[in-house]
Amino acid sequence: MKKSCLIVTLLLCLTILPGCVEKKVIDDVNIATGIGIDKSEKQFLGSIMIPVFKPDKSFGNFTFKAKGKVIRDLVSEMQKKASQPIVSGSLDIALFGEDVAREGLINTLDVFLRDPSVGARVQLAVVNGKAIDIFKGKYGDRGNAQYLTQLLEHNMEQQNLPLTNLHRFLAAFYQKGMDPYLPMLKKSSRNLVTISGLALFKDEKLVDILHENKMYYFKLLVDHHTLGVVKVKEAHGESTVKSIGLKKNIRLKGRNPYTFSIKIKLKGDLTEHQERILEKGEIREIENKLAQQISKECKMLIEEFQRKNIDPVGFGHFAKTRTRNFDYKKWNEEYKNAKFEVSADVKLIGHGVVE
Amino acid sequence: MMQGSIQERLQISPFMAAYVIVSMQIGIGVLGFQRIIAKDAGTDAWISVIGAGLTIHIIVWMMYKICETVNGDILDANVYLFGKIIGNSINTFFIFYYTVTCAGTLGGLYEIIRTWMFQSLSPFWFGAVYLLLGIYIVFGGFRTVAGTSFFGMVIPFYLLFSFGFALQYGDFTNLLPIMDHSFIELVKGGYHMSLSYLGYGILLFFYPFIKNPEQSKKFVHIGLLSTIFIYTALAVITFAYFPLGLLEKSIWATLEMWKIVRLPIIERFEYLGIANWTLIMLPSIALSLWAASRVTKRIFHINQKKSVIFIALVCLVIVVLIPTRERLNVLFNYTAIVGFSLAYIYTPLLYLLLLIKKKVKAE
Repeated sequence: MKKSCLIVTLLLCLTILPGCVEKKVIDDVNIATGIGIDKSEKQFLGSIMIPVFKPDKSFGNFTFKAKGKVIRDLVSEMQKKASQPIVSGSLDIALFGEDVAREGLINTLDVFLRDPSVGARVQLAVVNGKAIDIFKGKYGDRGNAQYLTQLLEHNMEQQNLPLTNLHRFLAAFYQKGMDPYLPMLKKSSRNLVTISGLALFKDEKLVDILHENKMYYFKLLVDHHTLGVVKVKEAHGESTVKSIGLKKNIRLKGRNPYTFSIKIKLKGDLTEHQERILEKGEIREIENKLAQQISKECKMLIEEFQRKNIDPVGFGHFAKTRTRNFDYKKWNEEYKNAKFEVSADVKLIGHGVVE
Repeated sequence: MMQGSIQERLQISPFMAAYVIVSMQIGIGVLGFQRIIAKDAGTDAWISVIGAGLTIHIIVWMMYKICETVNGDILDANVYLFGKIIGNSINTFFIFYYTVTCAGTLGGLYEIIRTWMFQSLSPFWFGAVYLLLGIYIVFGGFRTVAGTSFFGMVIPFYLLFSFGFALQYGDFTNLLPIMDHSFIELVKGGYHMSLSYLGYGILLFFYPFIKNPEQSKKFVHIGLLSTIFIYTALAVITFAYFPLGLLEKSIWATLEMWKIVRLPIIERFEYLGIANWTLIMLPSIALSLWAASRVTKRIFHINQKKSVIFIALVCLVIVVLIPTRERLNVLFNYTAIVGFSLAYIYTPLLYLLLLIKKKVKAE
C-alpha cells in the first residue's frame, strides 16, 4: 500500500510537472535564421531575418530592424515589434557590414558565444556594402537564410572557399599567432548574391580583402582538404584542373630568421582542355605549369600577408608548436623577416571520359 | 566488529563494484574540468590527467587494505582505531560530507539545466522531483542503487561518440610542444584534476556489500582505468578543439563541444545531451543519499528509510539556498578540499595507523 502510494505520487509528479517549465511551440515563435549587423552613425543597425511559412508551402521572408548601442539592446528592441517571441536556436547565418567588420567583431560575437542556444556552426560573412541590403532581396525558393548558408557551405565543400564558421573564426581569433578570415558577399542583382572574395582580419578587425581569384591558393594554404578548381594556361591553351586530394607538409627549417618550407602535394583531375586532343606529354606539361603557378602564387600571398602583418595561415602558431618557451612578442617582430620556401607537386590522375 | 556483515541476498556481484565507483566519479566535473586544469598546465594538462588518475589506484589499493583489515567498512575501522566515542564522531562527519556532496551535485545539475535549457526552472521543484527519485532508489536497497549506477553508465555511453564531431574541427598541433610546462605546473594541474576524480571513496562504505571483495579488485581497477581514459580522451579533444584563449572563457567546455554537432534530426544536440546527463547524475545522487543514510543508521540506529528522507530534505534546503554561481562555487570548493584531504591525507593515515595497531595487537 505504502509503496503503491509512492509510485502514484512519483508518476503524478513526472507527468504533471514537466508542464511547469517554459515551453516554446514551434508554430508560436519567430525563428531567427539570419542576423545582419550594420553601422548607422554611432549606433548599430541590426536586422533579423525570419522565414514566413505560407499556406501554399512557399516561403516568404520578413525582416525586423532596430537600432541600438549593444547587440542585446537591438534584439529587445525587435522583440517589441514582433507579435511572437524571436528565438535564436536555429540561427544559420550572421552578416556584418564592411564598416562594422573594420571596427571589430568580437563584442558582437561574444553575444553568440554567451548564448547557449546559438550553435557553433553558424556561418559568418562580411558584406561588401550593407548587410541589410542583402536581406532585402529574395533568393531561391527555400528562404533567404537557407540560400545564403547553402551558397557558402557548398562553396566550402566543393569549391574554392576555405572552411569558416563561428567556431573557426573564434578559434583563429583566440589562437595566438593566427588571424581569422571570413567570406565576403556581394549582392549582384535583385535575386542573386555572389562570393566576392575573402575578408582578412588582423585580430578582430578587417584589414584586407583577398580577391576571389586568389582564393584557390589561399585555401591550399589554410585547409587540410580541398576540392577547388583552378585554371592553367600553357602553350596548348587553357585547361582547368579540379583538385581531389591535398597533402601539405610545413616544416620549420631555421629560427634565425624563421624559415618555413611548405610542400604542397596535389592530386587532381583535368576537367577541361581547350584543344580537343591531349597530345603525348602534355599532361606532364600541365602538371609542371600548375605546380609552378601554385608555388608562385602561394609565395606571393604569404609575402603579401607579411607586408600587411597578418597571419591567416597561422605560421606563428606553427612556430610555437615546434619551439619550446615560444615568445609571441618576439615573433611579432620576426614575422616580417621570416623566409618562406614554397614548392608544389601536381599529379593529374584522370582526364575525364575522353581521350 | 562483525556489525557490518551483510546477508548474501543483499550483496552485489564483484564486477558491479566497478560501475558504482565509476558512476560516482563521473558527474558534474566532466563537463568543465578542462578549463581548470589548463590554468596551470596549459595543453600539457592531459599528462596531469593521467598522472592524477594513476595515484587513485594507490589510494584505492589502500582502501581495500583498510576494509580487509577490519573486515567491514570505514565506520568499523574508525571505531576499531579510535574507540567508540572519537570513532563515531569522525563517522558523523561523513553524514555531513555526503549530504553536502549530494546537494552540490544536485545544485550543479540544476545550474546547467537552468543556463542551457530552462531559464526559469525553479530549484525547489526540480530538486524535489529529483530527490524523490533518489529516495525511491535508496528505498530499494543497495542492490537497486548499484543497478542504477550500471544503467546510469551503460545507457548514456553513446554520448562519447558525439565528441567525434569536434574532431573534425580539432587542431591537434595545439598540444605541441609536449612537456612545455614545468613539473610544478603539471603537479598543480594534477591537483585540480584529482578533484574531478573524487568519488571513489564510496568504496569504503559499500565494501561489505560486495559478494566477493577479493575478486572485485580487478574490476574496480579496470573501472578506474576507464575513468582515466574518458577524462584523458576528453581533455585531448578539448585542447584540440579550443585554443587556450577560448578555453579560458568556457565554463562547460564539454557541453560547448556539442554546439558543433548538427544532425538532420536534431538542431541543438545539447538538449539531448543534457537530458541524458540527468541520467548520469542520478547514481551520484542516489549513492550520496545512500551513504549518508547508511552512516546514520549505523551510528544512531535510525531506520534508513526515515533518515534518507531527512537527509534529502536537508539537501533540498541547501539547493534552494544556493541558486547563484558564486555560492555554488563556495560549496564546490569546500567539498573539493574536504574530499581531497579525505582521499590523500586521511586514507593513507588510516592505513598506516591500522598497520601499526595490528602489529601492536599481534605482539
